[in-house]
Amino acid sequence: MNTFLWLVRREFWENRAIWLVPALLGIIITVAVLFGRIDIITAISPEQQRAIGPTVLFAYGVTFFVVMSIYSTWYLLECLYADRKDRSVLFWKSLPISDTATVLAKLFTGVIVIPVVYFIATDVSTLLMALIVSLRAHVYFGSTLWRPDLWLQLHVLWAYVIVTTAIWYLPVTGWLMLISAWAKRGVMLWFILPPLGLFWAEGWFFGTHVLGTQLNKRILGYFAQAFYDHSNSLAWVTTTTGKDSITTPSSIWRVVDPAGFFSSPATWIGVLVGAALIVGAIQLRWRRTET
Amino acid sequence: MPPLIQARDLSKRYGSQVALDHVNFAVETGRIVGLIGPNGAGKTSALRAILGLTPYEGELQVLGREPFANRAALMLEATFIADVAVLPPWLKVDQAIDFVAGVHPKFRRDRALTLLAKTGIAGKRRIRELSKGMKTLVHLALTMAIDASLLVLDEPTLGLDILARRGFYDALVNDYMDATRTIVITTHQVEEVENLLTDVLFIDQGRIVLDCSLEDIAARYAAVAVADDRVAAARALNPFHERPMLGKRVLYFEGADPGKLAEFGEVHTPSVSDLFVAKLSRNAA
Repeated sequence: MNTFLWLVRREFWENRAIWLVPALLGIIITVAVLFGRIDIITAISPEQQRAIGPTVLFAYGVTFFVVMSIYSTWYLLECLYADRKDRSVLFWKSLPISDTATVLAKLFTGVIVIPVVYFIATDVSTLLMALIVSLRAHVYFGSTLWRPDLWLQLHVLWAYVIVTTAIWYLPVTGWLMLISAWAKRGVMLWFILPPLGLFWAEGWFFGTHVLGTQLNKRILGYFAQAFYDHSNSLAWVTTTTGKDSITTPSSIWRVVDPAGFFSSPATWIGVLVGAALIVGAIQLRWRRTET
Repeated sequence: MPPLIQARDLSKRYGSQVALDHVNFAVETGRIVGLIGPNGAGKTSALRAILGLTPYEGELQVLGREPFANRAALMLEATFIADVAVLPPWLKVDQAIDFVAGVHPKFRRDRALTLLAKTGIAGKRRIRELSKGMKTLVHLALTMAIDASLLVLDEPTLGLDILARRGFYDALVNDYMDATRTIVITTHQVEEVENLLTDVLFIDQGRIVLDCSLEDIAARYAAVAVADDRVAAARALNPFHERPMLGKRVLYFEGADPGKLAEFGEVHTPSVSDLFVAKLSRNAA
C-alpha cells in the first residue's frame, strides 16, 4: 500500500497540472467575483434570488467538472505513453513495482484522485464566492448561499457524481489507457480513429449503427443513467417572475437515481468492458518494453 | 550453489528476425561479466530477457527466479541501468531519492546522498536541466545505493565524453563492487571495460562465440608477431586469425603449445579487444 501511495505521489510530481489547473481556475473565478459586477444580483427579486441561489452554487461545480473531464481525458491518454516516449519506463521497471500496481495507480489517480482535487477546488471556490457575495451584496441572495442543507446536498451530489462517472465512464477510461499503453505515437488519433472507423465500416457494410448508438449512449447517456429527468415532476420546479422563468431541481434527493444507476445492466456491462480494457493495458505495460 | 544466472536454450525472435539463437551460459556470483558483441548481435535482447523486460523461449533462471513473470520480485535483488538518460526529465533529484527510498526496501538513502554529494549536483535540480553525463551520475548514484546482488548495465556510457565515462567506471569499481555482488555489462567499447572484467561473453548474430574468464584467456589464447618469412611455418600451427602489423603478421592461436610459439617471436596474451576482433573476424570469414 505504501508503494501505491508513492506511485500516486509520483503522478503529482509528473503532472503538476492536476492541482495547478483547478487552483488557477478557482483563482480566476474568485477574482472575477471579487472585482466583477455583481449588482445584477440585487436587480432581481428576492424570490428569483432564492431560486437562482442553488443554481449558482451548482454552476460552480459544473464549470470545474467540464474542465476536469477534459483534463482527465488528456491525463489518461498520456499516463502510460509518456513513460515510453521519454524512455523512463526503463527506469521505472528497474524498481520492484509490478506493472499491475503502476497501471492501477494511474487509473486510481485518473478516476478518483483528480476528481477529488477538483471537488476540493470547487468547494473552496464556492465558499469564497458565497463569502464575497455576502459581504459585497449583503442581500437575500447571500442567505440562500448559506443554507446548510443546500451545502450538504451539493456535497452528496459531487460524491455521487465522482463515484458514478468513474463507474459509467470506465470503458472510456479503459480505452484511453489501452491506447496509452500501446500506441507508438499519435495517441489522440488512435483514441478517436478506430471507433470512428468501425462506425463507418458498420454503416457501409451492414447499414446499421449499433456501435454508434452504443457509443452515443455511453458518452452522452450518463445523466439519463444517474439522474431522473424532467418527466419526474416532483424533482424539478419552475419559478416564473414576469416573463422570465427558470427550472431548477427541487432537491438533490429527488434528482439522483442511485437505485436506477446501480441496477441497470448497462452500468455493469460497462464495468466489464472497462475492466477488460484495463487488463489489456496492464498486459501491454508488462510485455511492451520496446521504447 | 546454483549460478546467479543460468540460461539454457535461450532464444528470442522479433517476427522472423532471430536475436538470440539457442544460447547457453551461466554467470556466477562475484563476477564482472562483459557481454560483448557488435551492434545488433543480441546483447540487449539477452539483457532484457535476464531483467524480465521481455518474453523469450527456452529456460532462464535469474537469482532462482523466472524473470519475465517475476520482474517486480526480481528487482528487489537485481537492478539495472539500461541505456543512458532514462531518468524522467520532470523528476527532481531529491524526488528521485525519496521515491526510490519509498518503494525499495534495500535502498540506502545515506549512501545515495554521499555518492551524490561527490558529483556536486544539487537536489533541487530537475533531471532535464542536467547534462547527459550528470544524468548518468545521478542514475548511477541511485542504482549503487541499492544493495542488490546483481547489477546489469546496458551500454551505460553511450554518448558520454571520456571524463564522464571514466568517472562512471571508477565509481563502479571503487564504490560499489565487492565479493557479494555481480555485474553484467554490455558495451561495444571493449577497451573501456576490459580492465575491470573477470569474464567475457562474446556474442555475435545471436550466438555465444566465446565464454571464458580472463585467467582462461591467458591460458588458452596466445598471439605472436611473426616475421613475414616465417609466417608459412607458423601457419602450420593452425592460427585462427591473423592480421598485418608493422611489417610483420600477428597470428592468434587457441590452445597451442607456448614453447613452440616462442620459436616464432615473443608470445603474449591478446587483449580482450584483440581477441574480440580475432574471434569475430573468423566468424565473418
